[in-house]
Amino acid sequence: MEATIEVRGLRKRFGPRLAVDGLSFTAAPGLVTGFVGPNGAGKSTTMRMILGLDRPDEGAALVGGRPYRSLRTPLCHLGAMLDASAVHPARRARDHLRWLAHANGIPARRVGEVIELAGLGSVANRPAGGFSLGMRQRLGIAAALLGDPPALMFDEPVNGLDPEGVAWIRGLLRSLAAQGRAVLVSSHLMSELEGGADHLVVIGRGRVIADTGVAELLAAASGGRTELRTPDRQRAMTALAREGAEVAAAERDAVTVSGLPAERIIEVLTAARVPFTGIAEHRATLEEAYMELTRDAVEFRAGTGGEAL
Amino acid sequence: MTAPYRSTVLADARDGFGRLLAAEWTKLATVPRWRLALAASVLLTVAVAVLTAAGSQTTGGGGPPARLRPLSDQGRITYQMLPGDGALTARVTAQGGGGGWAKAGLIIRADLRPGTPYAAIAVTPGHGVRLLSGYRDGGPGGAPGTPPAWLRLTRAGTTVTGYASPDGRTWRRVGAVELDAPGPAAAGLFVAAPDRVEVQRQFGGESISGTPADTRASFDNVTLTAAGGAPVTGPWRDRGGAGGPAAPDPGGTTRTGGTVTLAGSGDIGPDAFADDVTRTTLTGALVGQAAIVALAVLFVTAEYRRATIRLTLAASPRRGRVLAAKATVVGLAVLAAGLAAAFGSLLAARPVLRAHGTEPPPLTDPAVLRAAVGTAVLMAVVAVLGVATATILRRGAPAITLVLLVLLVPQIVATGLPVAAARWLQRLTPAAGFAVQHTVRRYDTPIGAFAGLGVLCLYTAAALAAAAWLLRRRDA
Amino acid sequence: MSRALHAEWTKLRTLPSTGWLLAALAAVTVLVGAAVTGAVDTSHCATPAGCAEDTPRLALSGVRIAQVAAVALGALAVGGEYAAGTIGATLTAVPRRVTVLAAKAAVVSGAVAASGTAGVLGAVAAGRLILPRNGFTPEHGYPLLSPADGATARAAFGTVLYLVLTALLALGAGAALRDSAAAITAVLALLWIVPVLASLVADDTWQRRLDRFAPMTAGLAVQSTRSLERLPIGPWAGLGVLAAYAVAALLAGGARFAARDA
Repeated sequence: MEATIEVRGLRKRFGPRLAVDGLSFTAAPGLVTGFVGPNGAGKSTTMRMILGLDRPDEGAALVGGRPYRSLRTPLCHLGAMLDASAVHPARRARDHLRWLAHANGIPARRVGEVIELAGLGSVANRPAGGFSLGMRQRLGIAAALLGDPPALMFDEPVNGLDPEGVAWIRGLLRSLAAQGRAVLVSSHLMSELEGGADHLVVIGRGRVIADTGVAELLAAASGGRTELRTPDRQRAMTALAREGAEVAAAERDAVTVSGLPAERIIEVLTAARVPFTGIAEHRATLEEAYMELTRDAVEFRAGTGGEAL
Repeated sequence: MTAPYRSTVLADARDGFGRLLAAEWTKLATVPRWRLALAASVLLTVAVAVLTAAGSQTTGGGGPPARLRPLSDQGRITYQMLPGDGALTARVTAQGGGGGWAKAGLIIRADLRPGTPYAAIAVTPGHGVRLLSGYRDGGPGGAPGTPPAWLRLTRAGTTVTGYASPDGRTWRRVGAVELDAPGPAAAGLFVAAPDRVEVQRQFGGESISGTPADTRASFDNVTLTAAGGAPVTGPWRDRGGAGGPAAPDPGGTTRTGGTVTLAGSGDIGPDAFADDVTRTTLTGALVGQAAIVALAVLFVTAEYRRATIRLTLAASPRRGRVLAAKATVVGLAVLAAGLAAAFGSLLAARPVLRAHGTEPPPLTDPAVLRAAVGTAVLMAVVAVLGVATATILRRGAPAITLVLLVLLVPQIVATGLPVAAARWLQRLTPAAGFAVQHTVRRYDTPIGAFAGLGVLCLYTAAALAAAAWLLRRRDA
Repeated sequence: MSRALHAEWTKLRTLPSTGWLLAALAAVTVLVGAAVTGAVDTSHCATPAGCAEDTPRLALSGVRIAQVAAVALGALAVGGEYAAGTIGATLTAVPRRVTVLAAKAAVVSGAVAASGTAGVLGAVAAGRLILPRNGFTPEHGYPLLSPADGATARAAFGTVLYLVLTALLALGAGAALRDSAAAITAVLALLWIVPVLASLVADDTWQRRLDRFAPMTAGLAVQSTRSLERLPIGPWAGLGVLAAYAVAALLAGGARFAARDA
């Protein structure tokens, strides 16, 4: 059994609106795959189709190589948290997990295990209606882990959480992936995935814009640029430009150099006797990378908009 | 790269309908207000039973205690005493008045006190020649036989056999009944007819009364023979209305030559205006059912409102089974509550009824048992109808309104319509299910007990099928 | 208050369910009334005059079912806001809760009165057309129905008031229970089940007691135009009983609405 979530050519139309338009990607085992896109991009619809809740108009979603609806004990194949508030407010947290466990014949001891795992021990016997958002998220995660599944899927798990909660979830996702599970996490904010995801699937208007590793994406966004600090900005720019580098003034005593590796820059500056106080490779943030992608996506949208109409 | 993860619970996990039932039961049992709704339905039902029993104050006042199997034993009988076995033969030459169940024929009964077992064969205008007993309409026979028609009853031991003939020569056996009446018995001619139902209607309230319907019939060739064929001699005596043997009534029986003409009113048969104490005691189910409908509907719509339906369907992708499990769990829980409510009502009403001079329905009687168990089944089926309707509509308020509408409105509107129209309304709508509470066939009984429950079950099955189809087809 | 009224009116008007419910209220009143008058004729009576049929009441009998729409409208006015979570926004805009409830009551009353009037007039017109064909003719002592006729006017006006009061009863229940489904169940149970129970109770004294204090039978006494002396309760007194129920529900709802956190 492969611990993968695989989406092939999914298409879903709600009335006149094409919510998901030929989406294909894979969430591989051992990785946290970020599923990113603006609100309304089709993330939740895709996740519902993976769970067999919505029926795709075209294409297929496979969990461990099989359609979700053909699984007999699906909670043991894919754990999912779509909506943390999906709990009856009058039902105790433990009872909520108990009925889920019953539905797949999961042994009762597992309920206690996931309650401890999610840190709900002290509130497990209280009605879920009184839970804070953070506790509900933990309950949702406990439910997802009930079948100890090799694949996990979370829809906006850190949305609205305090920094402590965000850090907890991030650590949990990492450790789940480190055990060899495939973890798919959606978010509409790239910054939420910073330091949390290994792989990214970026979608816009129901289509994949980018499907790439975080490292590659950052490298591409960084574009081999180098930050240079120098008290003599003018001479440094002249010297580097002569060597064929593209130089742009940044702050008062800093320039951004692209087109030359860092070692070559040091050689050039030393040869020209230009003093410099610091040199560092520029590291783009995920947010910057995302903005760059979305900028492309805007052009891409403009290009396909006419087609779609 | 790390090796793909393997679930540690997968080996233990099982699917199956039993697991689904356990899951749905856990859902039902872990929301306190749903447990309260079940308890409330029981309490409301029992409370209404006690109240209606307390309201039965004047019915028993002074009169004889209400009989379990209400019957009417009137009509006119002219008879001789038959010491042992024998045969009674007569020709009905004419019959008039009294409606389709007017009876003219022969009767053998142990004595003439009201309610005594009897065996009779009679010509009826609407239902052919019938062998009658036990104060029930119906019975063997039914072949058309309009006057003039020959009838014969033979008594041998405890068996009375009825025959009919068009000409007095070729006899057709109609049937036989057991008549447990050792020794001399009254054997003679009788006429009887059920009361005419008169309804004075005002929407929301109506007064119904039965007025005696007159019937008359002429007989000739009357012969009563003892075993061996010797004619029985003795005075012919008459019984008029209710009560014991009456003095000969010149207006009631006339004998001219070999012809006897009887005229009378009142029926020997079921009492079409009887109080159905069992049914009245179980009416609380109407109130308890409101709580049941709310529970059954909210059990489903709460899942849509809180989006837990997605968790449910993610855990159990086979949706038809999920619906079946929900219906089963709610149905069984309500069945248990309904049994508690029905038997609780009958038991709690006993002392109150007795204090007001009404004999409480005995729990050992099959008809009472059927009504009580039927009430529980009725509530369970209503709950399943609630589950199905809620699955179709997905919203609580409209689903509750609709279910209460189809169950209650026919019963309200029926009171404002002519009896014939009202009966059809109560036959064809889901409200027919309430017929299972009847233990007495009355003039206004719309449909048989099991047929009525069957109508409700058909509606429920159709709703379930639609719900299953929609649940499978729709995105969750 | 006028702003609160305006806000509530906008809310009511912009919900698609409102239009459907109001249309259903009028349509069901007319159609069921027509069906019932069409189903009843004089054939079951010895003489047509002997039927002593209360023809205005018969023509207006559709409200027994149409009241469901009024109940739903009333219950949804408050309960629907709890379900949709908009109650917070409502109370932020108009913090005085009694004003909010009063505005809701006024708006719902107005809407139900308008639709009820249309339905009642339609039902009277339908009765005027249908009844003479079934033998209820002026020669037999059944004058043509007309809203200008004193008793018929009272029955028609009272029926509109009846609908308004049931909507207010449901509105009060919705505020008290804070859930439209529960409010609809409770109000329909109160309205419908008591008459059914009353018809099953064998004892006359109890039957009259139930009829006198059941909100539906008492309230609909206002539709009677014949043999008023035989009614369990007078026409206006009966409507008063229903009004008492509505006031009690509104007070309970108002108290809970004012006291509890949104």
